[in-house]
Amino acid sequence: MALVAVATIIALVAAVVCGLVVGPTSIATTRVLGDVLSRVGLGHSTLTPLQSLIIWQVRAPRMVLGLLAGAMLAVAGGTYQGVFRNPLADPYLLGVAAGAGLGATIAIVDVGGGLATPSWTPLLAFGGAMIAVIVTWVIGGRGLRSSTSTLILAGVAVASLFTSTQTFLQQQSSTNSIARVYIWLLGSLASASWSSVTLVLPYVIVCVVICVAAGQALDVMSVGEDESRSLGLPVRRVRFIVIAASSLGTAAIVSAVGLIGFVGIIVPHIVRLLVGTSYRRILPISVVFGAAFLVFADTIARTVMAPSELPLGVVTAIVGAPVFVLILSLRRQMVT
Amino acid sequence: MSTLEINELSVRAGSTALISDITLNVEAGTWCTIVGPNGAGKTTLVETIAGLRRPSKGTVSIAGELVSSMSERERALRVALVTQHPTVPSGMSVRDYVALGRTAYHGLLRAPSAGDRQAVADVLARLSLDEYANRDVVTLSGGERQRMVLARALAQATMVMVLDEPITGLDLRHQITMLDLLQKEVRECGLTVIATLHDLTLAGQFADRLVLLDHGRLVLDGPSGEVVRSQELADCYGMKLRVIDVDGADVVIPVRR
Repeated sequence: MALVAVATIIALVAAVVCGLVVGPTSIATTRVLGDVLSRVGLGHSTLTPLQSLIIWQVRAPRMVLGLLAGAMLAVAGGTYQGVFRNPLADPYLLGVAAGAGLGATIAIVDVGGGLATPSWTPLLAFGGAMIAVIVTWVIGGRGLRSSTSTLILAGVAVASLFTSTQTFLQQQSSTNSIARVYIWLLGSLASASWSSVTLVLPYVIVCVVICVAAGQALDVMSVGEDESRSLGLPVRRVRFIVIAASSLGTAAIVSAVGLIGFVGIIVPHIVRLLVGTSYRRILPISVVFGAAFLVFADTIARTVMAPSELPLGVVTAIVGAPVFVLILSLRRQMVT
Repeated sequence: MSTLEINELSVRAGSTALISDITLNVEAGTWCTIVGPNGAGKTTLVETIAGLRRPSKGTVSIAGELVSSMSERERALRVALVTQHPTVPSGMSVRDYVALGRTAYHGLLRAPSAGDRQAVADVLARLSLDEYANRDVVTLSGGERQRMVLARALAQATMVMVLDEPITGLDLRHQITMLDLLQKEVRECGLTVIATLHDLTLAGQFADRLVLLDHGRLVLDGPSGEVVRSQELADCYGMKLRVIDVDGADVVIPVRR
């Protein structure tokens, strides 16, 4: 466990350096690090104003947003898998993705007029995501008295409704709008700025803290609802808090970066293979690993075919799947 | 005052009465086994005692406090539950599984204290599980697994333990081992046990008292030796039962008509 924690932190530091240093404009690592140190009063920066602008107004906010998105999606996926006791659960299970997709589409195709400015897209995406989760919660029997499978089925129904509405709106819109919706749906950190970081930061901090703190409760919940209650766990209250925190944090992230798949499902599984099945270990490690993973994936997305970018969701799948298979096979070898 | 007091308890599911007007008092350090045919309401009764079901009428109290008005944590400090088919989560060690029984003591945001760890170690030793402590729970045999579930319940250190068919699926030797362990806790630690059992011979041999349920109603309540010989027991099962004495122990044999 300690070894994995140290390795994950080293990966995070490497991801931060990569996020700042690697890009289409070549800037020496030492000069970037020199500039970082000069900002805390150590030495002098040798960057030109343009290079400084690239590092601090383009790459840094993008890297920080990537850290926040990766951390939030990974920990939300882990908590969903714990609370639903379902290894296939991901942060989009209760309709967050479909709701955000519909909200963003309404803004991009400018339904009703006056929504075509960039500021409306994240706002409506966030609103759509939250409406979808709340509708799922209500029709799923408020998630309290009903079983988790009822809630999952409600999520499937709501996601289908929202997705089909979004498809209808797309079909009615212009080719240009369809392309923009499609790009949004694939997820990207390209539009990251300090203002988008500031917007999602409070949500992510609060929601990540709640999710990580729920690790012990999720371990207890692994024995099922009735037994958990007999062990002293207020199952319904814990379920509500955990789902609310995961969904709110995911909605905030999705509204800023679009739909980035794979991180929420694959990162907790990779971490589980490395540290075992206890959520007390899985969740904090997933926060760090997810953050590092997404920044690495974004670095690949923006550099492999520069100046054009690969969709981030495509990269997370292409990078994540082989890593997962590799760890799975290594673990099998260790067991045998 | 009895440790467990059940007063005119009725539980319904929609319009169906699951149990009706059951009154029962159980003293500390008593083993009370609930018997009866399938659908008699045995599981409903133990689930209601454990606080998993709410009474539609009547009350269940432990040490004078109403179970229905306790929080989950308060209940977990007073009554432990062993279900008929416990969930055994893959990847968890036996020690961690047994430590779940201490959840109500350390809460959800604090790590187990030294006292909690010691309580778990004591229970593991008492049930001869210490050699398996670091093994994955799914690698245990059925008998070892059931002992581990009992260990988790004992780690709760409650005054009452309810068990729903705790020996289901175990071979004869493991059935006796499990019931012996439980009886030791009753005799030595003053634990109050409420268990459901289908095996009338084992129910009669281990329990101090048998409670016979049928169609959700209490039919008979008395010392084990009397209940296994009663006509009411045979009537509830709709068959002739013969009780023979083997070395001082009652053996209940169904007789085919």
